[in-house]
Amino acid sequence: MFLSKKKLMVLALTAITGLSLLATGCGSEDSASSSSASSSAASGDIMKTIKDRGYIKVGSKVDVPLFGYKNPDSGELEGFEIDLAKAIAKKIFNDPSKIEFTPVVAKTRGPLLDSGELDTVIATYTINDERKKQYDFSMPYYTDPVGLLVKQSDNISSIKDLNGKTIAVPQGATTKKAVEDAAKAAGIEVKFAEFPTYPECKAALMSGRASAYAMDTSNLAGYIDDQTKILPDKFAPQEYGAATKKGNEALAKIINDTVKEMKDSGELDQLLVKWKLNK
Amino acid sequence: MDVNNPFALYKWQALFDARELFIDGLTTTLEVTVGALVLSILLGIVFGIAGVFPNRVIRALNRVYVEFFQNTPLVIQVIFIYNALPHIHIVMPVLLIGIIGVGVYTGAYMAEAVRGGIMSVSKGQLEAAMSQGFNYWQAMWYIILPQTKKVMLPAMANQAINLVKNTSVLAMIAGGDLMYQADSWSGSNMYYGPAYFTAGVSYWIICFLLSKYINKLEKKAEV
Repeated sequence: MFLSKKKLMVLALTAITGLSLLATGCGSEDSASSSSASSSAASGDIMKTIKDRGYIKVGSKVDVPLFGYKNPDSGELEGFEIDLAKAIAKKIFNDPSKIEFTPVVAKTRGPLLDSGELDTVIATYTINDERKKQYDFSMPYYTDPVGLLVKQSDNISSIKDLNGKTIAVPQGATTKKAVEDAAKAAGIEVKFAEFPTYPECKAALMSGRASAYAMDTSNLAGYIDDQTKILPDKFAPQEYGAATKKGNEALAKIINDTVKEMKDSGELDQLLVKWKLNK
Repeated sequence: MDVNNPFALYKWQALFDARELFIDGLTTTLEVTVGALVLSILLGIVFGIAGVFPNRVIRALNRVYVEFFQNTPLVIQVIFIYNALPHIHIVMPVLLIGIIGVGVYTGAYMAEAVRGGIMSVSKGQLEAAMSQGFNYWQAMWYIILPQTKKVMLPAMANQAINLVKNTSVLAMIAGGDLMYQADSWSGSNMYYGPAYFTAGVSYWIICFLLSKYINKLEKKAEV
């Protein structure tokens, strides 16, 4: 060995000290966020946490046109759900700009809420029983049926033509279950391929790996081009709600109140018209 | 434990009820691992020898292969095979994509391990063997390769372990492997705690057993 035992020992100690310094560096941040998380466990405190912070942390989609979409020209987030989030910020702070948006995909919505990284998720989040066990949802602010995007060259005209075929669905969405039920009702059997993001679902459809791409109709609308079409079959209306972590009832109530007031006053309908979502 | 805890008991219960899914995934992962490992070792030996071959064209082949597959992400290679090749009517089943994709990728690293092993044997050995009447292949087989084990085995072992973990790239293309099943199952119900923990432990067990086995081989080869 070209290193003496003593030198090796010194090297090892330096490494360990360095690592532990790093660890405490991260650790202190950890304990700060966990203490804020534990204090927010007591209902009501979450509002104090948010107000002290000065802004609300919202998870939104950035790849769903009309709902949450990062406009490539302006670089700005825009959409129906973005406006909804601004209305909630206005309710809490009297200032619609007091928001920090974080992009989410279907799969990351739950973990980001659990860890306290986000106060609420307003991201085409379908309300269902399994999710209601873990999160509080506001009353639904939009209802959207599942649709099927297919290639025009494939001569598919209804869900029955998909017997034995593979359908692409995004991971972490309720779509798979909805299509499964619809297939059963139509008396056919289908296979599923799940992908992490929407563009990957579309790519699988275009390469022929999947015969259809199933998703909420309004999401699909952003992916139509001259080679694809949406089938007339639509099923399983999905109700979207704003989700909060269980235990943060005070925040859940404010969000729900905001949605309710907007519904009652007709403001929500105006927003739907603004984004051409009023069918 | 409250309902928000990622490792709440009812989530473990749900995982146990869905065990079939995870066993399916584990089986696929093992199939891809074995196939890709065999392929990568074969490619490694062939291209490793090519890397020290006297003929310059063959040496260039080794460089092209190694530099291409070592310097592009495995994810892109696999997505390319999955989504781009069908446009020119080459449609491979995902299991085969796993074996070929991961096998060819790891083969590049194996080739470097083999080449490194051969180069660690002094040039005089080959010259001495050939002066005694061995031809190139005989000298390679009887004299050089036996001496390379010491350098090669540990490096190849590292790559074999990496290969096991790299099979999880199949999750990107709906490959039905362990990672995909964990992603898919936890994505729908958000019970990601037990799902990823179980998947992680499973990969650890596979890798651990494999490295134990290689240790044995190394001892046998008197490394």
